[in-house]
Formats: sequence, structure tokens, C-alpha cells
Amino acid sequence: MIRNIILLTLGLFAMSSISLMSQDSKNVFPYDYEVNTLENGLKIITIPMPSNGIVSYYTLVRTGARDEYEQGKTGFAHFFEHMMFRGTKKYPGTVYDSLIISIGADGNAYTTDDYTAYHLSLSKEDLDLVMELESDRFQNLSYPEAEFKTEAGAVYGEYRKNITNPISVLWEKLKYTAYDKHTYKHSTIGFVEDIKAMPSLYEYSMEFYSNYYRPENSILMVAGDISTEDILEKAKKYYGEWEQGYTAPKVEQEPEQTAARSAEVKYDGKTNPIVGIGYKTEAFDATDKSVISRELIGDLAFGSNSDLYKKLYLKEQKVQYISPYFPQNRDPFMSIIYTMVNDPSDIDYVKEEVQNSVEWYQNNLVDKKKLDDLKKRQKYAFLMSLDTPSNVTGNLARMVAITGGMDAVEQYFQTLESITPEDIQEEAKTMSEDKRTIIELQGAK
Amino acid sequence: MRNFKTINILALAILLALTATSCRNSDKADDEMNTNKVLLQIDNDPIVAYNIWFKVGSVNDPQGKEGLTYLTAEMMADASTKSNDYSAILEKMYPMATGYGAKVDKEMTTFRGRTHKDNLDEYNKLFMDAILNPAFKEEDFNRIKNNTLNYIKNVLRYSSDEELGKFALYNYVFEGTPYGHLMSGSVEGIENITLEDVKQHHKNYFNANNYTIGLGGGYPNELVDKIDTELNKLQDTAINTMVDITPKPINGLEVLLVEKENNSTAISFGFPIDVHRGDEDFFALALFSSWLGEHRNQSSHLFQVIRGARGLNYGDYAYIERFLNGGRLNKPNPNNARNNLLFEVWIRPVQHIHRHFALRAAMRELQKVVDNGMTEEQFETTKNFLNKYSIHWAATTSERLGYQIDSEFYGIEDGGNYINHFREKIRNLTLEQVNSAIKKHIQYNNVKIAMITSDAEQFKSDLVSNADSPIEYNSPKPDEVLEEDKEISTYKLDIKEENVTIVPVDEMFQK
Repeated sequence: MIRNIILLTLGLFAMSSISLMSQDSKNVFPYDYEVNTLENGLKIITIPMPSNGIVSYYTLVRTGARDEYEQGKTGFAHFFEHMMFRGTKKYPGTVYDSLIISIGADGNAYTTDDYTAYHLSLSKEDLDLVMELESDRFQNLSYPEAEFKTEAGAVYGEYRKNITNPISVLWEKLKYTAYDKHTYKHSTIGFVEDIKAMPSLYEYSMEFYSNYYRPENSILMVAGDISTEDILEKAKKYYGEWEQGYTAPKVEQEPEQTAARSAEVKYDGKTNPIVGIGYKTEAFDATDKSVISRELIGDLAFGSNSDLYKKLYLKEQKVQYISPYFPQNRDPFMSIIYTMVNDPSDIDYVKEEVQNSVEWYQNNLVDKKKLDDLKKRQKYAFLMSLDTPSNVTGNLARMVAITGGMDAVEQYFQTLESITPEDIQEEAKTMSEDKRTIIELQGAK
Repeated sequence: MRNFKTINILALAILLALTATSCRNSDKADDEMNTNKVLLQIDNDPIVAYNIWFKVGSVNDPQGKEGLTYLTAEMMADASTKSNDYSAILEKMYPMATGYGAKVDKEMTTFRGRTHKDNLDEYNKLFMDAILNPAFKEEDFNRIKNNTLNYIKNVLRYSSDEELGKFALYNYVFEGTPYGHLMSGSVEGIENITLEDVKQHHKNYFNANNYTIGLGGGYPNELVDKIDTELNKLQDTAINTMVDITPKPINGLEVLLVEKENNSTAISFGFPIDVHRGDEDFFALALFSSWLGEHRNQSSHLFQVIRGARGLNYGDYAYIERFLNGGRLNKPNPNNARNNLLFEVWIRPVQHIHRHFALRAAMRELQKVVDNGMTEEQFETTKNFLNKYSIHWAATTSERLGYQIDSEFYGIEDGGNYINHFREKIRNLTLEQVNSAIKKHIQYNNVKIAMITSDAEQFKSDLVSNADSPIEYNSPKPDEVLEEDKEISTYKLDIKEENVTIVPVDEMFQK
């Protein structure tokens, strides 16, 4: 079970913009669900849905690369996610593996900037065993130092594998350039020198576990052929003794960006130039019109139905692609536009066109139909994404993890519904050049 | 606390989706036109899934025009039609939050997509228009050609060594046969293709005698006939798409070293097997390869040896069917059914200093299991695992439809549910069957090995001279691991100098 998907590639980003709205029902999310909290603070979201015996079991830890505030510890949340598979005294790693094998569960985990997710897809009759195993490793993780060091080798292997992709190189540079104080300065996998030094941090790994892997910092999300009553009863049994003790990381706030930034970066292989343009934005807040408007601008100005896409990609064929990545984050992050330019001499032109497009939205009102089409698109995208328990949990994970619950889901769609062309224009005005960071990546050959 | 109570229409639909599917060739099919149909109708499912399969693939690319099938399919699925500009198509698809796409494989091309029922009429119009009335515009052609060349020259050669390694292995094994080039073609092949070639290829191969209709989910009955009638308007050409594939016999261990400046060595090796889903031995081999290296599964054997115990890389897997895009996908994406398959091992990038050791470790494990067979315990564990794990392969209607199209390709009578068929076959296996299938189809003496690496001359000399490859770790390892390391680092790979070829990366996929 691969446990380390780092959200670095553009393809995965699409998942993060869950979007739903509804004209004819009060609530958008189509399944009954409950949110309950154990005495120790562990939140449990249950989403019963017909699924022919399949259950998706998600544990969200609200700690990610964002929480790596200490010098030399970048990438640790992700590395630690690997260690979570190395077992406990009761169920050593190999025993855990063989039990998961025996039930044919599809297990996995990933780390992002804001949270870490552990998930399994299983048959409902195996819930007891899974809850026994999962609750055990969240409370009693234990591994020898030698295994810790061995796993560090696998993480370095993962880094080497990823960095052959130019997007990874650009992503590292963009974060590094745009941030001074906040931990968003580093990517989820971490700085390479910190990754190389990981084998020496065995003691620290215990501290990390003790500070962050706590019930009040975690959320259990279970969807599929389940009853809430049954899950709650089991949760009390398996997780009831999990002790509190979360220590908040001392993440520094990023001072307001006041001047445009830019940098160039070389990629060792061959590639057409890639440009990444990030505009600073606010932290995600489902009730904030400007936050939701900003998300929509991504699609309106740079998505496959945008004038710019049609111009640069289809008509003039200056780029291989242009794509918005306007993510939801716990702290103020960036709205990013990626584009691969065919001819290096067109880089300036393409950069200018991106800024022109932003300025168009600053100076004009978006066509009402276009905005409505986008709202409609969000609705269908959401409805079509809820076809299996693991798609339901997977699609909700980010919003649940960064907001700490389910309320944001409905709030998000209420806000979305209320957005007007004027809201879009207002928000576009905040995308000024002094809030911008531009990275140009060029191939080495 | 209870937060919300909401309507459950969708939930009900999904229940039905999973429990009340009809079989392929259902009685609703119209046999008058003698068309193959794969139907998975699910009442009340809010989604309709499309999968239109043409029996044409990259094997049908003319020599010197490698990539013609791919460009043709892209000119259908990713370009303008006679009634709509491509940008107008995108605009119309946009509020529906959907699209369609083509997947070109060696022997099959599928057009796939899905829509919410609310938008079915509009979607159907656009989907059928793409297949029936592509506009073949110069501007679309230039864009698609350019994108394809960028993919081969930059993305494939440079952005992921492990994907490069896998494609390099397949081309190496099938060199000189119609399987011997990428589905997306070769650099010179793509450059040679004209718009006229594309039009002709569409006429010849995407014809009225060559399609199978796949539909799944909540479509109305009349849609099947409607689509059939439409597709019957395609050219009435009769063309044989079957080609003979006879890979060159492999003589010992043959090595292709693709040289580039990189930080790690990606390793893939394998050889042809004469088995596919339609054969009994397939299921025995599926169990074997799952034990040896289930895709992205940390419990599998190679993973344990190379990553789990030694931390040399990110993962190590084995296959008896091509798993495309394995670096990104956890589950196979159907519709690359093939008559010619490889047994294949994929070692994710290892540091150059470990390349010889990692190759030896994997080959040695292969030898051990071929010589000794699987144990009762390994067999039972994997059987139980696969029986349950395989239900995750086709969770959605689109995925199930994809599997059923593949069953049609292989001619499998699976009662309309390949996954169930697979599970039943797995449940009925015996250890003797598995071990005898291993003996019959799997070996370690004649293997092709493709590796992406730096300083290839040095590696070649290490390989040919069977140089020891001792390994050092930065952490203590159990004695049994260290003992085994001694055997691995001196394990003999009999590689003859004339069997090693070095190719600079920029020559890969050129012709």
C-alpha cells in the first residue's frame, strides 16, 4: 500500500476543488451524515450510503508540511506518514501488513501541505479488525531506530523519483520564492538536505508523534455500508482511551507581500519552458465571498472555457497547456497559473497575457451566463464525483481537514450560489502585480 | 450531534448501480445490424457511461507513419467537428462538467466518457459527432502533432525515468514487430504524417464494421439503437486489423541501457508470455505475480526485499498485463487489452551505486520462486488477498464497463461481470496449478532488461564482468539481511558483451 502521494502534479489538483450547489434542495450533500465527538476530542464523521458492503475508512490528521516550523525538519510530516506503517508492539509492521492482506483491503496514505490522510477501502465485515489496527497505530506506534533509518532511504528514493518532473522543480522554487516566514516556503516532501538528514531524527520522530498524533487533532471519516450507531460504539471501544496532548506548532505568519517577486530555475532535463505565476490569497473560509470568488476566477480566467485558454492554446498555439491551480488552504496561500510555453521567445508575451486576463476581470463584469455555467459545472462535477464511498471521503478530505468539520461543505455552496459578477470583479482587483510571484523554468539543454 | 437530513435519491441510485446490472448482449440489443454491444444498464443511476470500441490500434500504423492511429483518434476526440469548433465543444461541455477522450492501445481504441443523465441528449450529440464527423482542421492537426512530439521528446524522455523504462522495455521486446513502437508513435513517424493520412485512416479503420457499443448506467433503452444507427453511417469498409506479432527469441540476458544524465537508475525487465485473460493459466499467473509484486502494495515480496528490508527505492512490482501510467494510478485503467503480453518486473529508481545490486536482488528472487515454487502459506495468503482486493478494481460503472469491453476482446464468457469471474477463478485455484503455471510460463534465463542510467559504459562493464556489488547501509541491518546481501552482491548474471546495447536517451522513440 503506497502511502505517500504528494500533491505535486497538476493532475491531482483537480480533486481539491470540491464544489456543489443545488437549486431545489436545502442541502447540497446528498447523503445523510452525522458528526460526533468523543470525550477526548476525536471527531467522527459517518456517512452511511448504499455501497454493496464496501466501506471507506479515512483518518485525517490535521498536521502536514505546514506544521514543520523547526529548522531542518522540513518534509518530516510526510516521512512520518511512512513510519506509521512500521507497526506497534502489538502489531509490528509485517503483522499489520499481513492482516491488511488477509482482508484484501485497499489501503493508502498521503501527506499534503495542510494535513495527512490514512485511508482504507474494505468490506464491512472487516471493520472491527481495521478499527483495532488503525486505533492501535495511532496510539501505540513503536519502531526500532534501524527501521526508521531504512525508511528514510525510501523517502529519499521518492524525492529522486519526483524531482525528474519539471513541475516538481518549479513548485519547489515557487514556494521558496513567494514565502519568507511561513512554512509554505517548503514543499511537502521537504528540502533535499533535510531529507538526507532524516535518518538522524529518530528521537524527534517520537516527539512529532506525541505532539501531533492526538485525538483532538484528528478526524475519523467513515462512508459506505455502515450505521452511525455501530461506528460510534466501536470508536468508543477502540479510540476512547486515546489521550489528548496536542501541542500547536509555532507557525509564523507571513508578512504581507508588497512587491512583485520573480525567479528563474533550471531543470536538468529537456523541457519546454514552464511558467508558474502565483498570486497571494486568503486562507480558506467557506463563508467568505472573496475566497470563493477567487476560486471561481481560476476557472473563469484560466480554465478550459476561458478566453485565454482558447487564445493561447487553441488559436495561437503558443502554449502546450495553461491551467489554474487555486487551492483551498488553512493559511493564506497562493492562486497559481501554470503554463508550458512552446517557444522561449514567447515567455514574456504569455506572462503579459496572463496579467491582461486578470486585468480584464478587474475592469469588466463577467458575463452572467458564463458565471452561471460555472456554478452549474460545479454542481455536476460534485454529483458525479460521489459514486463510491472512497470517492465521497476522498473528495471531502481536504475541506474537512482544513476546516475541522463538515459545516464548511454547505456553507461553501451557499456562498457559491450568492456570488455575483460584481463579487468577481472586486476579488480580481486584489490580484495585483505586487502580490505576484513569477517563476520561469527552463530546461538545461 | 445530528447535522443534516437530506434526500437520498442518488444513494438509492448507487445501490441499484451496484446490485441490479444487466449483462452484455442483453435482450434489448438490436441484433439486426449484427453489432457487438456491451450493455450494463442500471435503472435510476444518474450517470451514463460511454465506451465505444474500435478494433484498431497502434499495430495498424503504417511503417514510417508510427502514431497515425493515435493522431487520428485525437483528431476525433480532442478537436473540432464539422458542426462545432473545438472551442465551442469545450464551451458546451463546460456546464456539464464532462468531456470525452480516446485511449489508443496496441490493438484497440476506445472512446470513453460519462455524463449526468440530465445532460444526456446534449452530451450524446457531441459524443457521436466527434466519432462521425471530425472536421480534420489544419489548426487542430498542428496543435495535436505538436503536443504529441512534446510528449515524446520532452515528457517521456525526461520527466519520468520509470515510465521511460517501461516503454523502453516493451519496444525492446517487440522490436521489429507492429508492437515495437509507442502507441503515440515515434518522432519521425509523427513528423511524416499528413492530414490526408489521418482522413484516410479514419475512413479505413473507424468504420461501420469495426465498432462495439459499450453503454453503462442509467441510459434509456432507445439510446442503444440510436447510437447503432448513427455509427452505421460510418464508411462501410472491410479491413483486416489483425496483425502477426512474433517477437524475436530472447537469447540469454539481453540488456538495453538508455543513457542520460540522471540521479537514479530505473529498471524494468521481462519477457513475452503466451497467456491472457481468456486462458486458464492466466489466473494462476495472476496469483503468482500478485504475490511477487502486487502493484503499489507494500506487502508484496519484491517490495519487502528491496524497499522494506533495505530501503533502496520507493517500490518494486511485478505484472502479467501492461499496467499503463502505473506511477500515478493505484488501480489499472481498463481498455488496453492485448493478445501479446509480458511478464514484467518494475524496480522504481535506485541510486546508481545500488543499480547492480537491485537488479541482482530482483533476478535472484525470480530465480528462487521459479526453482522452488510458491509455498502453501504464500499461496493461501495471496488467494485470500486477491479474492477480496480485486473488488476494488472496478468500483464505478465506467470501470466495470471498461472491464466488460476487455472481456469481449478476449472472448471471455464471464456472465457480464469480469471481476466476479476473476474472483471465482482465483478461489478455485490450487497450489499445484499455480506452481505448474510458473514452471510452464516463467523463467529467468532469457530476459530482456531495460535500464535508464548514467555512465552506461561503466555499468555495462560491471554487468559483463559480473563485478561484485557489495552494499553499505547508513543504519544497522539484521544479520539475515547482511548474510543475504553477500549472496546477492555476487549473484551471477550471465550477460554477454554483445547482448548489451547502449542508446542515448535522445535516440529513444526517434524512429
